Amino acid sequence: MTSISARKRPPATRRRWANTNGMWAGILFVLPMLVLFVVFRFVPSFGAIGMSFTDYRLNGDFEVIGFENYSRLVSDPIFRNALVTTLIYAAFYVPLIVVVSMFTAVVLDKLVWGVGFFRGALFLPYVTSFVLAGVIWYWIYSADGLVNGLLQRWGIEAIPFLSGNQWQVLGSLSVVSVWRGFGYSMLILLAGLKTIPTELTEAAKLDGANAVQRFFRVTLPLLRPVVFFVVVIETIAAFQVFDTIYVMTGGGPARASYSLVYALYDEGFKFFDFGYAATIGVAIFALVFVISVIQRRFLDRDET
Amino acid sequence: MSIAVRDRTAHQSGRGQRRPGERPRRPRRAARIWLVVLASLLALGTAIPFLAVFVLALSPEGARTIPYQFPDRWTLDNIVSVLSAQSFLRWTFNSLVYSLVSVVLVLITAAMAGYAFAKKRFPGRDALFWSFLATLMVPAQATLIPMFVLVSNLDGIDTFWGLIVPTLANSQSVFLMRQFIRGLPDELFEAAKVDGASEWRIFWQIVLPLTKPILATLGIFVFLWHWNDFLWPLIIAQTDEMRTLTVGLASLNSESVSDARLMAAAAVTVIPCLVIFAVLQRYIVNSVASSGIKG
Repeated sequence: MTSISARKRPPATRRRWANTNGMWAGILFVLPMLVLFVVFRFVPSFGAIGMSFTDYRLNGDFEVIGFENYSRLVSDPIFRNALVTTLIYAAFYVPLIVVVSMFTAVVLDKLVWGVGFFRGALFLPYVTSFVLAGVIWYWIYSADGLVNGLLQRWGIEAIPFLSGNQWQVLGSLSVVSVWRGFGYSMLILLAGLKTIPTELTEAAKLDGANAVQRFFRVTLPLLRPVVFFVVVIETIAAFQVFDTIYVMTGGGPARASYSLVYALYDEGFKFFDFGYAATIGVAIFALVFVISVIQRRFLDRDET
Repeated sequence: MSIAVRDRTAHQSGRGQRRPGERPRRPRRAARIWLVVLASLLALGTAIPFLAVFVLALSPEGARTIPYQFPDRWTLDNIVSVLSAQSFLRWTFNSLVYSLVSVVLVLITAAMAGYAFAKKRFPGRDALFWSFLATLMVPAQATLIPMFVLVSNLDGIDTFWGLIVPTLANSQSVFLMRQFIRGLPDELFEAAKVDGASEWRIFWQIVLPLTKPILATLGIFVFLWHWNDFLWPLIIAQTDEMRTLTVGLASLNSESVSDARLMAAAAVTVIPCLVIFAVLQRYIVNSVASSGIKG
């Protein structure tokens, strides 16, 4: 559609909207959004960098302290722990959500009837909040909740989902986020699968490839850009995890689920150390930025 | 809120989920049944947490609700007591104001900006548009602290405007509106202009009616984003009076409320989302698949 409207546009000398009337209307129409963006996007973005060089406190007093926050960040064991926690969480969450959404997308792609129903049913949790998902799963995971209740009945020892070691807690939390969010990636992958011509898989089938071979040798390579897109957005999502942790574990036990955003929240709204909290915010931005650049590089290299 | 924008708009693919001529081959009957069984199991797995919420919410208070033993009697007591709690009603009201007012304001400002970016020429237009899009790179958490300081200096803590206004600057909505309006023929606007319609009138009587499909899609998503939003309301609403449902639910969770009461609150919170989804399912699903809107 973009290309069509570009073609239709008259040559530069006859541009209808080049008169001043159109220009001022354009500026006035952008103005409300421009004001919102300047005040609530651009100013805070640069403000975050500015604040990270100060010891800004709740009362508004501050002094410029140079790179002190950054040197504190590098040597802060709590920040380092939050970074490691977030990385472990991402290591659980990203592969799990990619595999689950890929699997469900392939199943739905092959379905002959009921596609609409199943697509809706599997996407359903996505329209709820992480807080709600957290509240529900907190009960599912609890000592007398759904899973442990069943296990007890069958005489199996209860699993300490949210009170065990760091791997158990982060694994349990990532399952909640996957349950809530996989429908989105599933739909993106499903749309990608629809663009793959059936002739290719048909040809592979005639050559004697079985379903698994066809998936890994034909479908997956063709789907690679879409898969990378999903990996990028889900990795970024993993680095922003907060709501479920806040509701389910409060960062615990013993900081086992103390993520980067949780550290930012605590420094800002528990210790009111705004300067340092802003520094953690800048670090989160830098991490997300670097990760998406690395992943995009990967994508580009694979395509050439 | 992580974000995904792809260079397509929702209406393009429209209802086209089943393209003609697609999949001429029919899998064998056994394989077909097997696939349906598999899909049913996946759907059941996804649905179990929801079912658990409603079973627990409808169970009598204090009954030792062992999940695989349905309660012998059902009751609406939990739901009624949650609904009659003063705070809960207030939180629902706050969530509704936060979501609905945001939807209206985002739609109007984004449509205006989208129209200007798509059909008007003014100096710095493209640079401005890309600088809007660039903010997609900055996660909301990174600017949380300066946003809080800003809103608190403007006395916006514990107010509706402090809750709503900072969330309106949304590059995804501007992007979607611009892409859609670019696809509308220039002649429409030129004809209206020749007829002597003012710019403002063109916007209300031509742009808005023509963009209904994308306004509806965007409206649904903005509503869901705000209804489900947590971190921003958490720091802006400092009194019980100003909490939204998500923040209120999180606070109930940390208090010693019984499971049945908590799940009743959860059930009441999730019902609007489920109703919206049930009514607009096809629409929501298609928009995600074609425009990549991510909340």
